[in-house]
Amino acid sequence: MQIFPENVSTYGQKIDDLFWLTLVFVMIAFVVSLFVLLYPLIKNRQSNSPKAQYVTGNKMKNFKWVLIALIALLGSDFVILYVEHDTWTEIESLPAKADVHVGITARQWNFIFTYPGPDGILGTADDVVIDEMNSSLHVPINKNVVFELRSQDVIHGFFLANTRLKQDAVPGRTIIRWFNITKEGKYDISCTQICGILHSKMRNFVLAESDDKYKHFTDSLYSANSHKTASN
Amino acid sequence: MEMSTHQQSFWNKYIFSTDHKVIGMQYSIMGIIMAGVGGFLAYIFRYNLAYPGQSIPLFGHLAPLQYNAFVTCHGMIMVFWVGMPILLSGLGNLLIPIMIGTDDMAFPTVNMLSFWIFFVSALVLLTSFFVPGGAFGGGWTMYPPFSAGGYLNRNPDFFKALFSGTSLMILAVALEFVAMLMGGINFVVTTINKRAKGMTAFRMPIVVWFLNIASLIFMFSVGPLVAGAFMLLLDNVVGTGFYDPNRGGDPILWEHLFWFFGHPEVYVLLLPALGVLAEILPVFARKPLFAYKPIIYLALVSAVLSVLVWAHHQFVSGIDPRMATFFSIGTILISIPFAGIFLSFMATLWGGSIRMTVPMMWAIGFIALFLIGGLTGLFLGSNTFDIYAHDTYFVVTHFHYTLFPDVFFGFFAAVYFWFPKFTGKTLNAALGKLHFWCTFFFFNGTWFLLFFNGLHGQHRRINDYSSFSLINMEPYMTFEKISTICAILLILSQFIFLYNLFTSLAKTKNPELTKNPWHSATLEWTADSPPPHGNFKVYPEVYRGPYEYSVPGEVDDCYAQNVPGPSFENNENL
Repeated sequence: MQIFPENVSTYGQKIDDLFWLTLVFVMIAFVVSLFVLLYPLIKNRQSNSPKAQYVTGNKMKNFKWVLIALIALLGSDFVILYVEHDTWTEIESLPAKADVHVGITARQWNFIFTYPGPDGILGTADDVVIDEMNSSLHVPINKNVVFELRSQDVIHGFFLANTRLKQDAVPGRTIIRWFNITKEGKYDISCTQICGILHSKMRNFVLAESDDKYKHFTDSLYSANSHKTASN
Repeated sequence: MEMSTHQQSFWNKYIFSTDHKVIGMQYSIMGIIMAGVGGFLAYIFRYNLAYPGQSIPLFGHLAPLQYNAFVTCHGMIMVFWVGMPILLSGLGNLLIPIMIGTDDMAFPTVNMLSFWIFFVSALVLLTSFFVPGGAFGGGWTMYPPFSAGGYLNRNPDFFKALFSGTSLMILAVALEFVAMLMGGINFVVTTINKRAKGMTAFRMPIVVWFLNIASLIFMFSVGPLVAGAFMLLLDNVVGTGFYDPNRGGDPILWEHLFWFFGHPEVYVLLLPALGVLAEILPVFARKPLFAYKPIIYLALVSAVLSVLVWAHHQFVSGIDPRMATFFSIGTILISIPFAGIFLSFMATLWGGSIRMTVPMMWAIGFIALFLIGGLTGLFLGSNTFDIYAHDTYFVVTHFHYTLFPDVFFGFFAAVYFWFPKFTGKTLNAALGKLHFWCTFFFFNGTWFLLFFNGLHGQHRRINDYSSFSLINMEPYMTFEKISTICAILLILSQFIFLYNLFTSLAKTKNPELTKNPWHSATLEWTADSPPPHGNFKVYPEVYRGPYEYSVPGEVDDCYAQNVPGPSFENNENL
């Protein structure tokens, strides 16, 4: 049994590694704490230990053990924070080079995908909008895909588990995030904020393709739409 | 001062009572009834999760909107109509006056009013299930614009909008807050003004300290939410746009107002239950509470920090990513005082003379389960891992591993411990142990495997996972079934408790046996069992702290607070 779904993004492994690192600290803390909790229940039962010791714990002589444990906990917390900080910055800020721009707009109850058209720029007349339930967002693999996330109605959540990326789509705001998928495949996008009767059916896909296939797809998409007025 | 001899009619004695003990029991009984409602809702949607689309025994078919409403109301009920009345109001009313050695609350009539407002709030909430459109189904966090812009209750008519599920939920919560504020003010005023002679601040039992700190946290954090909820109500009934971005509003504003209250709220629920542990562990370890004063300071530190961590619920909500580090550090820092309190509790056991009674088992079970809940918080406090884990079952499981031991283990520990005092009757210990083991085992059965579902990307509030390839596979669907079966057994296990409760209440009172059955040092055990209206025949005088057990050189291992003698306070400076 795999703990995480297959990671297909450039930064996903760092999140998985962060989990395993945290798990090491957590397991140490869990085993030590469980021992501290259960040992006296056996050792100091009334039958073994008819008279209790009088220890108030208000003196540093005794309380230092709690302080040592707290400092160890604080230390491991800050190790985690130190390790994760660069990953957070990497995921939440834009990559140096954006290869593909797309628009993703959530609404009740699907994600709408906007391709930038032949000029590669969003918000121009040649944009192509795909608004269907269960549709796929085509992206090339090994490219930095930068997307503008919006919502038309209520708060939705954009969750692409295979890349480990999640971001709420908030009406009135444009939030820019990115991913870089390293493996061809079709991956679920699910909505993670409760949004109404079909929340459970709000699912689209990201279809990660090789450059050739992606180019073929966009070429045919753009040529099919070139005679129409862009509907953005 | 009126003492215990007067006669009261049934109506004044049990219904519109001003006696803090009766009000405490009214709150607790109301909490148990609402736990039944919340548990039944959990049964319905858990059954649906294991067997989607099938007819549910005792209920029938569950529609998607009902599913949303039921998960929402389950959360609301368990936090505001079970956790709050049982832990804060129930324990606070039962324990504070008698443990500080006084006859009643400072404002007994306000106290009665507090309960009846709470009662009305529960009725308003239950009514919302039967209005057209059904109960509110926008998640217990009530994020607008889903909860505000007419997405749930599209109705231009003022009165129809006012009596919609959404508005009734807001009204019910608002009434509940009014009740809790009245109770909280009463607790603080009573504790400050009505302590027995000699009951200095640092001779008060920890549970009294923690109930007061919890009340203060509640009072400091609830104001912004009440304002926010009023704006939400206006958005719903008169069509304002406080949370509507098309009219200059902002939905994230609600998230901040909600979580500014919502996170401190978990400490409001946690502190009273920790106080219960602090009363139980020394008694059954026959040892002073380890680090009495540091525990109080740690709790005060946590109270200050509790209002500085709220945005860790919003790491992926669209707040400025640079803010996240601040809230991550805050979250790390607030884990320290609570870890310190738990470690001090565990240290209390070391070198003790431990009696594994029923309340002690619940207390130990609480710590063991909370350990899992607390440590999984370490993963989630990290903003980076939260990008992935947010809104998954990892979070849901994490908070059930904190809140379930807190509310239910804390409550049952308190019931099995104080039942003899407040009823004059005893609960059956064998049934109590059976109840404990069933609850402990089936709780883990319900939740532990769902950590794995969460890590595999199972997101929340979905009534049917068949659309999602990562979850609609083995072993995750089997885990769902195991969880549901254990949840049903967990609910059924509570009938052991109810049976024990009712058969014990049917017994005759035994004031001798129940006066101080655990050989405990705090003041409530010096009153009669059950304590009459007014609690004490003669007001007690206090000579020392609450946990003087096994004092060297004493024959009796319990040096009660009201027995004249040395204070031992020269030992107590760190």
